[in-house]
Amino acid sequence: MTTRRGFLAAMMASAVVPSLSWADAGNPSFLAAAREADGGYALFGLDGAGADLFRVALPARGHAGVAHPHAPEAVAFARRPGTFALVIDCVSGKVIQQLNSPAGRHFYGHGTFVADGDILCTTENDYDNTAGVIGLWSRSEGYRRIGEIPSHGLGPHEILRLADDILVIANGGIETHPDHGRDKLNIPTMQPSLTYVTPDGTLKDKVELAPELHRNSIRHLAARADGLVGFAMQWQGEQRDAVPLLGLHRLGGTVTLAQADLGEQLAMQGYAGSIAFAGGGAHVGITSPVGGRLHLFTEAGMLAAVHRRADICGLAESAKGFMATDGQGGVWQADLQDFTPVHRAPRNWDNHVVAL
Amino acid sequence: MRLSFLSPRTLTAAALSVGVTCAALPASAGLNQVIELHILQGTEDFAAATRALSDAAAADCQPAAVQGPYNAAFDAWMEISHLRFGPLEKDGRINAIAFWPDAKGFIGRSLGGLIAEEDPIVQHPQDFSSVSVAARGLFALEMLLYDPQYSGYAADSYTCHLVQAVSFDLARMADGIDADWRDEQAPAMRSAGQPGNTTYLSDDEVTQALYTALLAGLEFTEDQRVGRPLGTFDRPRATRAEARRSGRSLRNVVLSLQALRDFSEALADVQIPVTEAAFDTALEQAEGLNDPVFAGVDDPTGRLKIEILQQRIQAARRAVEGEIGAALGVTAGFNSADGD
Repeated sequence: MTTRRGFLAAMMASAVVPSLSWADAGNPSFLAAAREADGGYALFGLDGAGADLFRVALPARGHAGVAHPHAPEAVAFARRPGTFALVIDCVSGKVIQQLNSPAGRHFYGHGTFVADGDILCTTENDYDNTAGVIGLWSRSEGYRRIGEIPSHGLGPHEILRLADDILVIANGGIETHPDHGRDKLNIPTMQPSLTYVTPDGTLKDKVELAPELHRNSIRHLAARADGLVGFAMQWQGEQRDAVPLLGLHRLGGTVTLAQADLGEQLAMQGYAGSIAFAGGGAHVGITSPVGGRLHLFTEAGMLAAVHRRADICGLAESAKGFMATDGQGGVWQADLQDFTPVHRAPRNWDNHVVAL
Repeated sequence: MRLSFLSPRTLTAAALSVGVTCAALPASAGLNQVIELHILQGTEDFAAATRALSDAAAADCQPAAVQGPYNAAFDAWMEISHLRFGPLEKDGRINAIAFWPDAKGFIGRSLGGLIAEEDPIVQHPQDFSSVSVAARGLFALEMLLYDPQYSGYAADSYTCHLVQAVSFDLARMADGIDADWRDEQAPAMRSAGQPGNTTYLSDDEVTQALYTALLAGLEFTEDQRVGRPLGTFDRPRATRAEARRSGRSLRNVVLSLQALRDFSEALADVQIPVTEAAFDTALEQAEGLNDPVFAGVDDPTGRLKIEILQQRIQAARRAVEGEIGAALGVTAGFNSADGD
């Protein structure tokens, strides 16, 4: 029961303390998880030049994170099949709260905010029912779990918010079960999809690729303000099949698949790890840590530049183009012409770097 | 694990990254040895052998005249085919030189297209790089020189000019690799971590690139050159052997093991008796095989010998990991080893 004193204190606090903004957090530009030199894991806030602004220790390997639209607060997700997500105060660099996936669910490693930052959406595996779900958490109620909606596909991985709170979800199509770790249980029959879903769970559009591409796991997303969605794929067939790894789509439209010339496409080794738009949305990039490549395409899907760097994976938009991170601790600035190291830290940057 | 059809170790090797505590390869004796004695010798040999091939094809394009220099060029390629970074990766060269495996039949389709249309690109061999990588390099040439569907071509025919163009293009790429190694890659490795070096941000990264290439080379020979024809016991796949048209499948395994043994010795700063012994055992098994295109995968006795060869190569890889990897402080990779 709320005591009068407690109630007044809360009132005072909200009246006196102005709400903090991202400026109070030093205006970090990026979030990225990493493995540190001692083998432990942490999440970092980085400035525009890739230098550390804050560090938060993680209990296990992280994957991606999402920033709150206004408050200097971010949520970092465990790598699948992890069950934790940490709400982080980016001013103090402290963990405010740990979210745990409900019984029978684990996180996939990505999430997004809707309702002007009040509802956090997390991609989750309902593994006993072999179903993809989006968990909903109310920030104003202390990140209380308030429900879940279907992702309308299996293995929802990255999720983004589009205009009018429409969610776009990359359903990788791969069945996994924590009893089998990260083993893939349904490769012969997998069916990835890109779905557009409203926060009440209504399916607005569902995109599936041609049958011969059913092993192309749709995994990561980028979106432009005008609703153009880029999706990056991971091929589960023969490595040298040289299939497209990048698709472009908008709600209600048709898919454009993009690929490089055969030699460069083979060099990607059937794997795209991250995707981002940059240059005002004129360019879209995908990384392959396996192939050590960053491929930049035009918005029409034509290859525009190739940059090479071992173990490159994280990719985000930056003030000058693209920001990329690699497993050797490097942070890179990229555009169609140049690929320049801007920072190096003694750690292995994990799969993603998230622009704030 | 990322791909269902590949073993976990394939991916691990393709994807090593150096732990941040890595003991760097000294930018002195060890690195110089690798660069001078192993790499630059190899790139020079490959450039010379492909130049000889191109000259031979220009003089007489028919298989009888070209096959000898072709095999010498392929032999030279095996000295450096494991250096899959830097100059070999530039401009898609690795696939333009060695387009294999080709499960989808890209090579036949691409060559067939050029020949059917009599594409005039063969008159401009310096521009042959605009052609699909599947119609370039050693494996396209092998198809033209050895496959009965193509090899009966007449002097001055379209296919004859195609053989000349592919040979010229191959020599041009080999020359580019040798020049890039001398002018760019070797200096970049020697100046790792120095201001302005945007290729190697530290000595560790040089160690990583070299060690990764060594392990990935061993895995390629084990899983692809030997593993593809082996297939499964119920479904052996002899026709998947590398360079079987030219009868080089086993020869390539032997040459790759010799090159990787040489590379291991150059790379290691310490004595590597276990590694050397493991390579010798694998080479002994390969040299005693007497089955040039792994046709024996179809019968139980022949198959067993090839399986033993594969196990011996695997043992060499483990020896490299235990002896050289441990000494260099290189650990298994991060993003590329197990993606998400």
